Amino acid sequence: MAEWRSRLNEVLITAAAAVTGLGPDLDATWRRLLSGETAVRPIRRFDAGRYPARNASWIEGLESRGNRSLLFPILERLLDGFAPPPPGCRLVTATTKGCIDTFERVRKGLSGDVADIPVSGPLTWLASRLGLNDPGVNINSACASSTMAVARASAMIESGRADAVLVVCMDLVSEFVFSGFSSLQALDPAGCRPFDRDRNGLSLGEGGAALLMMSAETARRKGIPGIGSVVGWGAANDATHVTAPARDGCGLIQAVRQAMAKASIGPEDIAAINAHGTGTVYNDAMESTAFGAVFGSRPIPLNSIKGAIGHTLGAAGGIEVAVSLRSLAARTLPPTAGFREPMEKCPFSVRPTPQRIGGNYLLSTNSGFGGINAALILKGNPG
Amino acid sequence: MTGSVVAGIGWVTSRGTGRGREAREFSMASGPIPHVTREDVFPEPNLRFGRLPQYSRVGLAAVAFALRDAGMGHWKTKRSAGIVASTRTGCLATDIEYYNTVLPEGGGLPSPNLFSCTLPTCFLGEAAIQFGLTGPTLIVNDPAEDALGGVRMALESLSWGERGTMLAGHIELAADPALPGIRSPYAGALFMVLENARDPAAGGYGTLDLSEGGAVRHGGIEIAGLNELVRACLAFPGRS
Repeated sequence: MAEWRSRLNEVLITAAAAVTGLGPDLDATWRRLLSGETAVRPIRRFDAGRYPARNASWIEGLESRGNRSLLFPILERLLDGFAPPPPGCRLVTATTKGCIDTFERVRKGLSGDVADIPVSGPLTWLASRLGLNDPGVNINSACASSTMAVARASAMIESGRADAVLVVCMDLVSEFVFSGFSSLQALDPAGCRPFDRDRNGLSLGEGGAALLMMSAETARRKGIPGIGSVVGWGAANDATHVTAPARDGCGLIQAVRQAMAKASIGPEDIAAINAHGTGTVYNDAMESTAFGAVFGSRPIPLNSIKGAIGHTLGAAGGIEVAVSLRSLAARTLPPTAGFREPMEKCPFSVRPTPQRIGGNYLLSTNSGFGGINAALILKGNPG
Repeated sequence: MTGSVVAGIGWVTSRGTGRGREAREFSMASGPIPHVTREDVFPEPNLRFGRLPQYSRVGLAAVAFALRDAGMGHWKTKRSAGIVASTRTGCLATDIEYYNTVLPEGGGLPSPNLFSCTLPTCFLGEAAIQFGLTGPTLIVNDPAEDALGGVRMALESLSWGERGTMLAGHIELAADPALPGIRSPYAGALFMVLENARDPAAGGYGTLDLSEGGAVRHGGIEIAGLNELVRACLAFPGRS
């Protein structure tokens, strides 16, 4: 009986969409990721000439309607043709700065809808656009926001609190955020190079992801096939520093171990890792240390897609889940764009070319300001 | 009845600072929040507190008061408690303060210290460091009027066995005249320490759980909002 219940509460992802600097949909993003392309290029949205770094991954052709935020055309693209959420579906979003461009406009004395500035603005828009009764909640956990949102949605489904949850993740490239990371000297003027010996900082990006998640029982009842499942999740705080990761990776180690325990699998079962991989000296070193503590020296295929689509902040984990489901389906881990020479003390297999995945479980992690670390374990199509 | 025991309560509101064991009354309403100094919160020197913007100071102070109220203010080894807080407007005041450093100089001299506080979760990171808390830290932007989104989420995590102890609360600053039209019925920060393992008879402010429909209940009675919840806790007969 317990096994039956557990199987019914298996957390499936039944639809995934992504909009990134590489393309208007997941197909285009996946295709260009595999060919090793990058969308990190000179910024045209604002005058970046006054900053040492002037590149980011931005989405071509976004147009503001009625001086509203550029977040809305991203959401429109994301939801165009997306599977309709079932009745009673819950809404969980993830964004760090929401309609930050509207905030910028208003503070510059330009016109903008002030009601969009609190996150309730895009939440209300989404609930209305999708015809959801649930007004939704937004989870903000810095750069781990969408990983935490997927973990939350998974727990809601597993516990029976929800039959289906739509997770929508989003963030924009803005001068507000760009100037901040520039002030922290965290941007690589040449474009980020995750896990490379010469890495020198991150590149910002923008984008969104939508993930429709439901219990296996709900999916079976509705005749909806799963494209993968979330089998484990974990989160922990370093409790060490607000803007720098703990050098010993203590929080990430804890998060990954929680996720594996939840999935009832061991380190030997993980076939590939989609790392946070921002390209900053300290983040990538921390991740390498943490993964080394958990997985030893086994050369697991590991990648970061931030060299290709930039660091999309609150959208990062959601986009990475969408891409990772493709990775599991194709048994192929996309290249790490920008990577040339391995960094020191990294036993994992990082490549500028696609890598073969030889198993069913993929680990995806994100870490963020405030010391947060979050981990998800995805399983390929359960068939 | 199963549920989580309220082990400690702390707050900063327009009426001042407070802890459950020292108070009989509580009210969080809109209005300006008094300046909170390092001496109000930490008896010993603290290099970071004075550098934090008001949103972070108010939030960190309420966490500190709640932990002390629960007898958890001192620590030697890190603890696995997590923190979740709901908010409607988050750190908008810090955003305004930071962006003012970007605008006048044309992006030349933005403040890195302020920028690191423009994520509404950063004060949770400060609290994690100050009090050795290694559980998940997150902010939930919840449009609901009841300001109970953080408490609700913490109770779910506790009932699912994700953690044994959670701090849960709400944080909001008063409306900023720089952005007219953005308002909240609350101003201030309130946190509660919620524990699964504590014996309700051993002290505290009663037991919280969630109804089937997701309503927060205190002693089995559904609660409509944050003020009502805290008042119910302060009126709990067995409080110590």
